[in-house]
Amino acid sequence: MPYSSYRISIALTLILLGTGTYLVFRGNPVSVGQPQEVALPSEPEPGGTLVLGFTSDLSNLNEIAASSSQATSEILQRLFVRLLDEQPDFQDHPPTFKPRLAESYEWSDDHKKVTFHLRKDAVWSDGVPITAADVRWTWQAQTDPLVAWDNAAMKESITEVEVIDPHTVRFHFTHAYPGQMVHANEGVILPKHAWSELPFSDWVKNAQWFQDNLVVSGPFQLESWKPQEQIVLSRNERYFEAGLPLVDRVVIKVVPDLAAQLTLFQGGTLDYLRQVPASLADQVAQSPQTRLVTYWPAQFTTLMWNLRRDLFNTAQVRRALTLAIDRKTIVDTIWHGYARTANSPIISSVWGHNRDLEHYPYSPEQARNLLAAEGWQDTDGNGILDRGGVDFSFEILVNSGNQERIDTAVMIQNQLQKVGIAVQPRVLEWSTIDARMSSGEFGALIMGLSVETSLDVSSYFHSKKMTSGLNSGGYSNPDADQLMTDIRNQIDQQTAQPLLNRLQEILHEDQPQTFLWEPQRLVGLSNRVQDASPNVMGTLDNLRHWWIFPKN
Amino acid sequence: MTHFLLRRLVAALFLLLIVLSLTFFILQLAPGDPISRFNNPRLTVEQVEHMRRAWGLDRPIHIQYLSWMKRVIFHWDWGISFIHRRPAASVIAQALPLTLLLGTTALVLQYCFGLLLGAFSARRAGSPEDAVVRLSSLVVYSIPNFWLALMAILVFHIRWNIFPGSGSGSIGAETLDFLPRTLDRLHHLALPALVLAISSAAGISRFVRNSLLDVLKQDYIQTARSTGASQDRVLWVHALRNTVVPLAQLVGLSLPTMLNGVLMIEVVFGWPGLGFAIFQACLSRDYPMILAGTAYGAVLVICGSLLADLLHRWADPRLRVEA
Repeated sequence: MPYSSYRISIALTLILLGTGTYLVFRGNPVSVGQPQEVALPSEPEPGGTLVLGFTSDLSNLNEIAASSSQATSEILQRLFVRLLDEQPDFQDHPPTFKPRLAESYEWSDDHKKVTFHLRKDAVWSDGVPITAADVRWTWQAQTDPLVAWDNAAMKESITEVEVIDPHTVRFHFTHAYPGQMVHANEGVILPKHAWSELPFSDWVKNAQWFQDNLVVSGPFQLESWKPQEQIVLSRNERYFEAGLPLVDRVVIKVVPDLAAQLTLFQGGTLDYLRQVPASLADQVAQSPQTRLVTYWPAQFTTLMWNLRRDLFNTAQVRRALTLAIDRKTIVDTIWHGYARTANSPIISSVWGHNRDLEHYPYSPEQARNLLAAEGWQDTDGNGILDRGGVDFSFEILVNSGNQERIDTAVMIQNQLQKVGIAVQPRVLEWSTIDARMSSGEFGALIMGLSVETSLDVSSYFHSKKMTSGLNSGGYSNPDADQLMTDIRNQIDQQTAQPLLNRLQEILHEDQPQTFLWEPQRLVGLSNRVQDASPNVMGTLDNLRHWWIFPKN
Repeated sequence: MTHFLLRRLVAALFLLLIVLSLTFFILQLAPGDPISRFNNPRLTVEQVEHMRRAWGLDRPIHIQYLSWMKRVIFHWDWGISFIHRRPAASVIAQALPLTLLLGTTALVLQYCFGLLLGAFSARRAGSPEDAVVRLSSLVVYSIPNFWLALMAILVFHIRWNIFPGSGSGSIGAETLDFLPRTLDRLHHLALPALVLAISSAAGISRFVRNSLLDVLKQDYIQTARSTGASQDRVLWVHALRNTVVPLAQLVGLSLPTMLNGVLMIEVVFGWPGLGFAIFQACLSRDYPMILAGTAYGAVLVICGSLLADLLHRWADPRLRVEA
């Protein structure tokens, strides 16, 4: 082909592609015309269909036979109710509860029994009344070893659930302790009349059975479920709170690819996005069609040191490491402002947080001095600190698939290099990390931990949990152990505050982990969704009060 | 012919057995097991042990392997999926038809487009139109599938709203009559199938163009021309048939790639097929699902290449004589 005609064809191709691109993307990509300026009605208007985006499917309709996942429990709590609703305001005070299936409750004088009075108008979706027998049977299923429910340990201190009359049920505890109500209330109430025919031994393998024999107690019922594709919930006409839910239907679309989900959300196909990546949060917040709702989930990300290794077995060295890591920069770079640095496992958004703790600043100077005092100096001039002929060098393990943590490990590598510590980030699959944690074969590792409302952190720091819990770094401090035990035994949690403060001071001093950041949860909502308040109890916590305006 | 088929079938069965055994042992070699996924500090050691027992994970590997093989061969029982908590075979049975539908549609489309474009290009070899087709097919061929998929959603769903952007059917489609239900399914199929087809079609068109140009230089084409056959007849009847022969082989080779592509596209378009199911199973170490998925995938590929061999023999008479 002659040269000139080749050039012509390149030009032609480019023109074609360019015109195509222009035609597709010209103008405002989404809205046709301006958003309507119609005043929001003062009263919620019922009706309409909400479309939610999930990355994973519901795994089972029976909460306690399901493989645990957040998505599953978020959906199931719309189909089934609990005795009480735990309130999301525990940043201000210990957990409080509002009536749901139980309209009231009272404690015995010794605080070892609690009696619930169930609503008399509550019925299952087939019309059968919800009674104390359901509550008792649910507890039996939850604690049956054949069912092996993930949260069964929360029921450990409950010795009996006694049916007083059809609408009164009493929980008996082995002893009084602060988490009693959280533990009694854990788990939705299941339909005895519909599900008790299947023996417990068959529960883990028969998801289909629960679907075939489904009755619900919550505001929504299951209209249809196409596995791996979509779940349609519709109003349960027999739900006991009159007038709720407000929307007619909720469609949950399962789209595992986050980028595809974002495209659908920004284009208006989805009304809700469970998790917006921090890098795109501003875009969602600034768009005229969508808004960003944020809250502080009870979680933090931490860098755990393996105290069994000589490198990390003095608190002085661990404090130096914390001082040498610029957590502020890490948080700003990776989270675009949607996280804050952490300094305690009892994070700053919960009531027991010790507000007097002083943040360790970023100070490589101070770090170097502390390390020198411990005998770490660069004697052989290779740029790495050494002591007794051993270089200060270790690996940080991070789990594959978690880009934030991988980036963090690389940033820490650079920062520690400045004080003469050689770090190798190592990305491993989670189960490998898990195995290394059990065997103690690691130097440091980055992981995410959650904080329970009872503020019991003993599974992370108690010396008893060095082998079987998450304290695989091997932290052991008798004072801290004693405090954690005492905190577990305070019935009135308010009086636990001084103990919590002291515990946090010790952990702050000892730095068994360098607490990295507290992430913010980012939920995307379409502007037509009204009164939605995703919060620490779940992104769909008050779904029954959501309403849609404008409808189209 | 029967002999050939029989030999190929036996070989295929052996291959399947090897693929499955390898998958089984490689899964076991990977550290951790499905129970470790529930890294839940609240779970007691007894509970974990109980779950391991309940799922049969406490037995030695070779016993697990033998009992699993026995169940598969004699009862076609693939075990219970850990995440779905129902028989893996029933999860696959729901997913497989959708993957077959998407895969075959895309396969047919990619060969139709590829042949047409290639023939068009070869006929006008050297012209600016030819260069435009070749250049744009190079561009399309180089674009990663997942990006193309996102752009397709952006343009055809969000911007023009002529095709749905995710799922395999509308809400409530299952209650519709046959015809509207089929139309709804096709409507949902269009985008993923087109995206899947288009980049492979670009590759095929270049292949067809080049081999057509080779064929057109052959003596018998000159003979055909000299009999007075029209340009179109020479191209479509005489030349194309010889181009199809190597193409038939290409079908067999492209099947595994195709299945890979399907996986990616299913995840982006939320198309609940086999790829989507295996993807989720891998994330949660759902052994029975991974094994069942791999087996069905392997069967698809083996059947496909068998079919391609037959196609090849049909297209090339020389092979039939040799047999």
